[in-house]
Amino acid sequence: MEQKKGDNGEAIAKSMFEMAKLKVPIISIVIGEGSSGGALAIGVANKVLMLENAIYSILSPEGYSSILWKDSSRFEEAAEKMKLTAKDLYNLKVIDKIIKEPNENEEEDFKKISNNLKKEIKIIVSDMKSKTAEEIVQDRYLKFRNMGEFIRRD
Amino acid sequence: MIVDKIKKREASVKNKPSNIDIPIGKWVKCDKCKEIIYKEELRKNQSICPNCGNYFRMHINKRLKLIIDEHTYKKFDLNIETSNPLNMEDYTKKLKSIREKTGLEEAVACGTGKINGEEVVICIMDSGFLMGSMGVVVGEKITYAIEQAIEKKLPFIIFTVSGGARMQEGIISLMQMAKTTAALTKLDEAGLLYITVLTDPTYGGVTASFASLGDIILAEPGAMIGFAGQRVIEQTIGESLPEGFQTAEFLLEHGFIDKIVERKDLKETIYKLIQFHKRDKEDS
Repeated sequence: MEQKKGDNGEAIAKSMFEMAKLKVPIISIVIGEGSSGGALAIGVANKVLMLENAIYSILSPEGYSSILWKDSSRFEEAAEKMKLTAKDLYNLKVIDKIIKEPNENEEEDFKKISNNLKKEIKIIVSDMKSKTAEEIVQDRYLKFRNMGEFIRRD
Repeated sequence: MIVDKIKKREASVKNKPSNIDIPIGKWVKCDKCKEIIYKEELRKNQSICPNCGNYFRMHINKRLKLIIDEHTYKKFDLNIETSNPLNMEDYTKKLKSIREKTGLEEAVACGTGKINGEEVVICIMDSGFLMGSMGVVVGEKITYAIEQAIEKKLPFIIFTVSGGARMQEGIISLMQMAKTTAALTKLDEAGLLYITVLTDPTYGGVTASFASLGDIILAEPGAMIGFAGQRVIEQTIGESLPEGFQTAEFLLEHGFIDKIVERKDLKETIYKLIQFHKRDKEDS
């Protein structure tokens, strides 16, 4: 509750700032529902991985439709529009890799997902091993520096 | 969240039957004391209500005039437009009509200028442009301005007013928080001065990124500053919030802001801070 005295905006800003400077590789993995500043505060990573059925967005679909259309009941429509699936985010270059999830959510699948994830983490770590601290920081910097496309007007 | 609140407030102000015989465009009503004020009088008083002292939001051009020496502002020539990443219907059309209405290119203006002869890189946001929200263009312009400050070895000043990340551009807007923040780590490494001036209202992704990262954080009196809107916080935690929560004064008391500066003193205060840090650098 005390933290609410200042709201949590500053904490998010400081967390991103420190992550951007860290001299070791960072891997963030979206495993469920990640949204807004809270997710991004731990998402300034060299590589962002995402489980196939996870979502990552600017806001919950309910909040999004409430702000944009002043109608939180249009959350389904918002979810369609927001491009919050792993595939959409991969196409937008917000995430680097989709971790496959087999069909059912059973124990066997959990093992499979964990193995997939382990494999990917190993690949990234071994790729990053040859990089210097400066290269690691720069690699992360450029990833976010180039985030979002725009059109140049003449 | 907060955008919603502000829009509602604006709508309710608009909807009130204020059809008394007032020549349209010459008078304006103060949100706080409800007094009808002659616009010219408001202009002369630095957009502060002459009746109750309430701070009105300022158009970029007015703010520039207040802070930057005459004829010294040179805007950065970055002719960029959003690619409309979510393919939102009407979004591009809406932007076009706001541009025509406000005479602004986007929700932030960035360039170089002088403050009592001291050259700075300055960014000024405007609530009149989609509530000062940050999409890819705002993020890119601010990042470019930071890079220019580093290249030219100049202090970097930003005036914030924003509802937060721009919903119409979805996750890409969110990513601009990381983009601007990462650029600020470079400014920090270069040892350059960064001053933020928070004006009413500063919320959401802007508070949670560059607004909170100034070496020195100033605010205008009475400015509302926060991440989530008050109604949302109250609903989430199921408790009412303390008196004055999210006001500049409250944040000063709790150590989030360094100083509250009246509008008339802003230019001089920023100038002194630049002078002070300049001397510091020469000494070392």
